[in-house]
Amino acid sequence: MGKVIVITSGKGGVGKTTSTANIGTALALIGKTVAIIDADVGLRNLDVVMGLESRVVFTSMDVIDKRCELEKALVKDRRVEDLMLLAASQRNRKDDIKPEQMKDICERLKEEYEYVLVDSPAGIEQGFHNAAAGADEAIIITTPDVSAIRDADRIIGLLQNQGIDGINLILNRLSPTLVRKGNMISKNDVLDILNIDLLGIVPEDTGVIASTNRGVPLVHNEGSPGADAYMRIARRITGQNIPIPEMREDNFFSQIINWFSRKN
Amino acid sequence: MDSSIVKLRGYKDGLHLIVNPKISLSEIELAIQELFAKMNQPITGTSIQIDLRAPTLNPEDSKHLETHLTETYNLVVNSVNIFEESAETPILAAPATHSIATDLAQGQNIDFDNAQVVRQTIRSGQTTRCLSGSVIIYGDVNPGGEVISAGDIVVLGALRGTAHAGANGRLSSVIVAMELVPLQLQIGTYVNRPPTGQKQRGYPEIARVGAEDIIIVEEFIKF
Repeated sequence: MGKVIVITSGKGGVGKTTSTANIGTALALIGKTVAIIDADVGLRNLDVVMGLESRVVFTSMDVIDKRCELEKALVKDRRVEDLMLLAASQRNRKDDIKPEQMKDICERLKEEYEYVLVDSPAGIEQGFHNAAAGADEAIIITTPDVSAIRDADRIIGLLQNQGIDGINLILNRLSPTLVRKGNMISKNDVLDILNIDLLGIVPEDTGVIASTNRGVPLVHNEGSPGADAYMRIARRITGQNIPIPEMREDNFFSQIINWFSRKN
Repeated sequence: MDSSIVKLRGYKDGLHLIVNPKISLSEIELAIQELFAKMNQPITGTSIQIDLRAPTLNPEDSKHLETHLTETYNLVVNSVNIFEESAETPILAAPATHSIATDLAQGQNIDFDNAQVVRQTIRSGQTTRCLSGSVIIYGDVNPGGEVISAGDIVVLGALRGTAHAGANGRLSSVIVAMELVPLQLQIGTYVNRPPTGQKQRGYPEIARVGAEDIIIVEEFIKF
């Protein structure tokens, strides 16, 4: 029996879809069986980020309306074994799906797969409730800015009301240089307010945009700071105890030091 | 609340006589007399400093207070320190016209000594409402969170959201928090907010309706 994890944030644009694609791919690279569900009905783009857009034939709406079997609607990833995507319908609206129907899909998928990741839409309306309906655990994505943290706090409250206990945090797009200069909220300040367990920190990485546009999740680009962070996060999800490294500043000297230490 | 007109405190640099609210000189003198009368040991001959937290006292009055203390009680006054109200209280004065509609719970039995205990953090969008007494929160109140109480509000954590004490009009209600960095405070019909850019202070604070009908905030030492 697998585990259903909803990936959500409240605020839009903080990296839910990117994180879902990368964590899903990373888990599959470790050797786990993974299904990822795009719950952003009407504004689907997980398939685009995964580079599977052209292969989507059936969507979760087709499964719900019994136009096809669940197994048939799953799209196999191009690069990794045991990674499946259930795309969202682009023609429908979020209200067209009910939480029970979503829960049913999650229940069926977690019998077959070790991890079922649900990419939640932004907001706290029906779409969010659908995404969270079948979740056993939740991952909150936030960026270190006040509006994202405020929304994350709201979402945590809603998830707790729903009885979801394992709520973990990913702090996305942290820039150590800006934190040092006092222009960015630090990790400790975020944790002080949200008061949940930190699953990982993903540093600001310009490679994300390129990888999104190419439809290749960042984790395939081994060695980039973002990819390493997502790999560590995936390992932590599987229960490995991997400490969260202190973020290094990406200045000239640290790059030289990195370069030398890598040679050894 | 009478005892807070004048307070005698020992600090590193000696005894301080702290004169707090904005009241007349004769009342201050009366309070000093009462304070000294209540003390077990005579205070004569001691050297003290006067901390004036009441800028309404003019220079003549403070001079008068000084000589009064020297002559009547035989005290040695080292210095007179005047504190600016705005620098001392984190919450700036808001005009008293900022009154709000009270959350009336008339006909309910209100027992201010009875408190509802909330064992969780109040997050953004969540509201804790207790119109039958006071509220104690074992956790934080995050920005966007709201606590409404007919009586007092005690937050055993950081108060970063909105708190409304005395929601049915009880002006003697207080708000206490280990860290008081609220978005907004309301007591009874009064509303107040901290100046923008308010940082955490690292010590507990208490908010109450002070003289001149504004919500004042000071370091919480005891009720």
